[in-house]
Amino acid sequence: MAAHEILAATNAVVTLDVALPGIVWPWLVTVNMWAKSIGTGVIFMLFMLLRMHPESAKNLRLPTAIVAFVFINIFLLFTLADLHQPFRMYYIFVHAHWTSAIAWGSFMASGFLGLLTLLIFLAWKKNDETYDKVLLWTTILAIPVTLYTAALMAQCTARELWQMPTESAQMILAATLSGSAAMILLGGNKLSYEAKKTLGVVLGLSALMAFIIYMSEYIFGPMKAEEVAVVMEYIKGDGPYTVMFWLGQWIAYLLPMVFILLSRSSKSESILKLAAIFALVGLAIVKHVWLMIPQLLPMS
Amino acid sequence: MQLGFLVDLHLCMGCKGCEIACKVENEVPLSTWRLRVKYVDVGTFPETKRTFTPLRCNHCENAPCERICPVSALHYLDNGIVNIDKERCIGCAGCVMACPYGAIYIDPQTQTADKCTYCAHRVASSMMPACVVACPVQANIFGDLDDPTSNISKYIMTNQGGVQVRKPEKGTNPHHFYVGGGNVNLNPLASHRVDGHSLFGKITTLPVGGHH
Repeated sequence: MAAHEILAATNAVVTLDVALPGIVWPWLVTVNMWAKSIGTGVIFMLFMLLRMHPESAKNLRLPTAIVAFVFINIFLLFTLADLHQPFRMYYIFVHAHWTSAIAWGSFMASGFLGLLTLLIFLAWKKNDETYDKVLLWTTILAIPVTLYTAALMAQCTARELWQMPTESAQMILAATLSGSAAMILLGGNKLSYEAKKTLGVVLGLSALMAFIIYMSEYIFGPMKAEEVAVVMEYIKGDGPYTVMFWLGQWIAYLLPMVFILLSRSSKSESILKLAAIFALVGLAIVKHVWLMIPQLLPMS
Repeated sequence: MQLGFLVDLHLCMGCKGCEIACKVENEVPLSTWRLRVKYVDVGTFPETKRTFTPLRCNHCENAPCERICPVSALHYLDNGIVNIDKERCIGCAGCVMACPYGAIYIDPQTQTADKCTYCAHRVASSMMPACVVACPVQANIFGDLDDPTSNISKYIMTNQGGVQVRKPEKGTNPHHFYVGGGNVNLNPLASHRVDGHSLFGKITTLPVGGHH
């Protein structure tokens, strides 16, 4: 590792430091973030489609609300599973500490789940007018729900890599990427080709912007902070997460962008679906790498 | 009253008496430490020496662990100690992720976060923390930072140029100071960590939850 300041003059070697914590937030947190991106992302996409392609999207009210409900429940389930004292989860609601992003997130996610339940009920009752009014508030709430994890990561003072501006951009882009991908797959015969093209544009642009941010961090991050430089070593050269990092970038962003261009030139919905599947799988890999690497940094 | 710690690294000889006293006093389980002494070997043979750095919770004035805790399990006491209520902790490990000093761990027995509390229970009974009592060379100096006549305040005044805290750039304002520390003592990135080159390298770690 060349990034940090081990002077040849000191040749310092740690010979005893037994309390390195290792990975504290495991793959369960990756699933948590991935599922939340889909759960909020499909709501963003439905809101957009009902305005841009209302005729095509009107039949997606119920399926979208169900998909969002399922994925938000997966997100909550994995959040619970990650707790070491899961039966004390309710303490957040009775002893909430409002400086914590976890407390805010728990309340907002619960409210979001309540609105999704209401949406399912309204769609089942075919009350489209009320559904669309509730959808507006659900979409607005989906923004902080998807962003609060960025705030939580930003509150992890020990992990210099996670900065609020970049993480919040990545969280929103993860939602639009996975939301558009999920809607392409969910749309089936209900969505027109024009609507799917619109979703393809959202997917492609989200992938492009997310990739630019990761590359910016990869290249310029180490120039600002020693800790970021050390963390980046884990995804460079023969670092332990190098292969997984680039695999994620290709599967989540680069290949979907290529597939979307190909689908537009050949008017192929199959290639568009392939882009959607790749984006969903790749996003989980990308999220996992970004969650793991700051945890490898020695703290003491 | 704002209680603080100062470790004079000129005096510390790495006996680990503080570490053991802490383990015994607080019944710290195997594979976890509220306080441990880091050894860093410096130099090239034959010009080598071993440095010793006791590491514990810094009881920051602006504690990231207290801020991130969703249920106030981590909280400030009036005397400045950042205390933990293990009955309240939900085990989200947010504090472990937030602490820039790696001072918090998940207790494998209770499955809750735990850390040094400056022996708050002893302090409440007007006793010194166990590590202070055990130190044979009085390298640990504990007292009230608000009182200019306390030992710690006098020590800080006497050694003004040499008083340091770990990672000041994090803005945590630690209430834990070092005198006589160099970069290799206080900066975790200033020394190599070679696999298989550590004393007790094959130490057994107790599981903390089925998935970790």
